[in-house]
Amino acid sequence: MDTTLMLSGLVVGLIFGFVLQRGRFCMNSAFRDIIVMKEYTLLKAVALAIIVQMIGFHLMATMGYIQLNPKPLYWGAMIFGGFIFGIGMVLAAGCASGTTYRVGEGMMGSFVALLGLMIGGLITSGGALAWLDSDLKSGTFKVITTGDLGVDPGPLLKEGNTSLTLANVFGLDPWIFVVIIAIVILAVLIWKRGGEETKLEGTLYEKVLKMGWNWWVTGIAIGIVGIIAFLAFKSYALGISGGWFGFLNALIFGDPEKLNWFTFLVIGVVVGAAIAAVIAGEFKLRAPDAKRLLQQFIGGLIMGIGAVIGTACNIGHILSGIPQLALSSILGGAFIILGCWVTAYIMFMRG
Amino acid sequence: MSSKEKPTEVLDVRGEVCPYPDVKTQKKLKGMKSGEILEVLIDYPLSAERIPRSIEKQGHKVLKVEKKGTSEWSILIKIK
Repeated sequence: MDTTLMLSGLVVGLIFGFVLQRGRFCMNSAFRDIIVMKEYTLLKAVALAIIVQMIGFHLMATMGYIQLNPKPLYWGAMIFGGFIFGIGMVLAAGCASGTTYRVGEGMMGSFVALLGLMIGGLITSGGALAWLDSDLKSGTFKVITTGDLGVDPGPLLKEGNTSLTLANVFGLDPWIFVVIIAIVILAVLIWKRGGEETKLEGTLYEKVLKMGWNWWVTGIAIGIVGIIAFLAFKSYALGISGGWFGFLNALIFGDPEKLNWFTFLVIGVVVGAAIAAVIAGEFKLRAPDAKRLLQQFIGGLIMGIGAVIGTACNIGHILSGIPQLALSSILGGAFIILGCWVTAYIMFMRG
Repeated sequence: MSSKEKPTEVLDVRGEVCPYPDVKTQKKLKGMKSGEILEVLIDYPLSAERIPRSIEKQGHKVLKVEKKGTSEWSILIKIK
């Protein structure tokens, strides 16, 4: 890997980590809180980040700065991998990005979950569970491409990418979907505004560096970081799990070639979150009891397995894939949310 | 702190992970009587901001959120 690319991953990661910590941006909380606490604050941030990126990606692609690179539609793998990823993130008490930024806050439970995630990923990509991954991507479950449906991939996709998107499956201009989705989500956000804001009182310095950000600040900031990531890396926008898999792979095999752009990104996220937490007076080494640590480790392990089978974590699918209108990410994302809800219901809402 | 704000009960959820601080606070509130005061000791930033928000929506009164130290807060809640 060339140094410029490594450095760009690190810098984007630093900013991403800072924003994640200040915005307390965690998709596990975002989706789980809807059903467990009727809380919509983080969900609003996620929705806003998605539309900022959707508009940004399509604008950059139309102007020729990037080419969209949606993931292939392995439908069986997206359903299964997404669903168990959703189960895992509730047990781990954080999604891939939430877990990563909380390591930077000094939360040992998240560190343990991260170890689980890396191990889970490795045994699925090349170890004991590799059979499951390949079974779920072949035969009945083989990939569905634009060629299978006899449609054109469309003008904005990377050369040779035959993944299905909302736009190319109908043979329509992607901007039709971008505009409609953006208007609908913005309308809902404006209609349902109020009530979720944290009442912030203080100087600008305190608002930015000492207190948690309001959801709309977080949403816009995450969206912009995603656009910067796509411009920097060119092949994709943000992702978390793949970076950690590369990290453990490089460590085990002593091979720096196994490090990838996302590895530098996630290292940047931990450091960026740690800087934000130290400034805010929120950095503290802490650990829950042993039972909870074990629960978080198992959760991480399941997330790792799910991320490899489903080909991405919540960030790769929901934050980066859905804005590219990828059917794979829409399906994977939907099942991540479903897995999260079923598990949250069983763990927190019965009795 | 005036005597009026003296907590009836204290709930220590320091060290707990998402969303246990919220879930345990809710459970504790259900077992308390109107007018009583609960103090929640917490070290998880997300919940320290989310608990006051959700508590107020339910009609309880958040008397005070005080930052006690590095990633440590005390939340005083008066039961409705």
